[in-house]
Amino acid sequence: MARYRYPAIAESEVTPRELFRQRRRFIKGGAALGAAALLPGGLLLPDNAHAWQGALADRLEGDLPTRGLGGGEAPTPREDATSYNNFYELGVRKSDPEVYAHKLITDPWSLTIDGEVESPATLALEDVITRESLEERIYRLRCVEAWSMVIPWIGFPLADLLKRHAPTSRARYVHFESIHDPDNLRGQKSSILDWPYREALRIDEAMHPLTLLAVGMYGEVMPNQNGAPIRLVVPWKYGFKSIKSVVRITLTEERPVSAWMEQNPEEYGFYANVNPEVDHPRWSQARERRIGERGKRETLMFNGYAEEVAGLYAGMDLNEHF
Amino acid sequence: MSIAKGPVRIFRLLVLAAGLLPALWLALRWGQDDLGVVPEEAVVHLTGRIGLALLLATIAFSPAFRLTGWVGIMIARRPMGLWAFAWLCAHALSWMGLEQYWAWEWIWEDMQDLPYVRYGAAGLILLVPLALTSFRRARQAMGERAWHWLHRLVYVSAALGATHLWTLTRADYRLPTLVVAVLATLVLFRLVDAARHRR
Repeated sequence: MARYRYPAIAESEVTPRELFRQRRRFIKGGAALGAAALLPGGLLLPDNAHAWQGALADRLEGDLPTRGLGGGEAPTPREDATSYNNFYELGVRKSDPEVYAHKLITDPWSLTIDGEVESPATLALEDVITRESLEERIYRLRCVEAWSMVIPWIGFPLADLLKRHAPTSRARYVHFESIHDPDNLRGQKSSILDWPYREALRIDEAMHPLTLLAVGMYGEVMPNQNGAPIRLVVPWKYGFKSIKSVVRITLTEERPVSAWMEQNPEEYGFYANVNPEVDHPRWSQARERRIGERGKRETLMFNGYAEEVAGLYAGMDLNEHF
Repeated sequence: MSIAKGPVRIFRLLVLAAGLLPALWLALRWGQDDLGVVPEEAVVHLTGRIGLALLLATIAFSPAFRLTGWVGIMIARRPMGLWAFAWLCAHALSWMGLEQYWAWEWIWEDMQDLPYVRYGAAGLILLVPLALTSFRRARQAMGERAWHWLHRLVYVSAALGATHLWTLTRADYRLPTLVVAVLATLVLFRLVDAARHRR
């Protein structure tokens, strides 16, 4: 059967980096002019409008260090990664998040860090972006529904942010909370999950150098459907652990209960490490469909990051702690 | 030609359209690369949904006949049932080809490990004797009584189909709920109707 093949893009068609940077500067300039033009009219924007977008655009212009941790595999076509998504806040179909992306209001955005930390704070996102050092990381992403992608994320290690706020000795877990905006997010009007979406990691998982907070992908600002403006990326766990659109990070002593654990504790465990040997009760986890590819691949233990993370789970029965 | 033949023919054409048009629509969307990022997955899901919808429609024919008394409905029931069977076969084949890529060891493994695969397979296998005995000669050879008893398996098959859909659903239970509600209504009608006739 005929199947669509992605056209190879000729080198001549690729916009030179310098040129697209110029364009970006031009667009930014235009946006600033536009904003300025609004000022006397009385239609005042809040003074922090577009602030984090501006801060991020500045950072994306610089040369970011790149680390390929996707086993040298080619990234999934961007078009696929932005139109095949699970983001139930924007709808349950894979195509919904792209269609309803504009319903996620990300401006302005702030991030709260509280709980068991010496210095809790609520930070404007632009301040987070400015103080952290961003880098590109190419990671495999494996969904619990047995499909996978390779994504070039832009972000910074979660550990960098946590250390700044000095976790106390009682901090054993890190709890994440996503946006709650049922007026705009159509999915939050339904009771598929108990909103807002919540996830959690053990502190050593959260401090692991592979664990990222991402603010962009494919060299650009994070698209709304992929969890703008800031999301978690934990590449050795099923995708649902990598919570999108984070508004609050709380360090706790007790183990938190995530939204999926609450919905179905038999099927969604706290750890949710990618493991081809432990099936989801209803679906097989042995294989996966790499988006954009024909056929199936064998799923790798810890999604191929066993060397880096297996030590975190030494001595644990992974059948029990799924 | 009697007057009744006109509407019957139109109704049979409608049944033909119900069986054939979804195939055209699916082929067209496949051809235009309009089945989303993973067209293989879309084909497996859509053939299953269409098959289950046609199966429920077939089951609805008998109550519709009871309510209207129009014989055309019963004439068109067999082709409708065969369309449902054909779509569900297409669903199973597309699962084997587009989901499992004809890897028999994977197909066997999933049959053993995954309840939803077993429910679906059982539901489809139950329909095989019904399809084989749907023709007039088989029906005459069996006798009306035995034939009716055998063909009540369609309810078991549809229930397995509904269970299959329910079991593989992750979070949004609107469609499986609708399927269960429709099937329950049809079964209830059948039971009430049978009780009324016994009296």
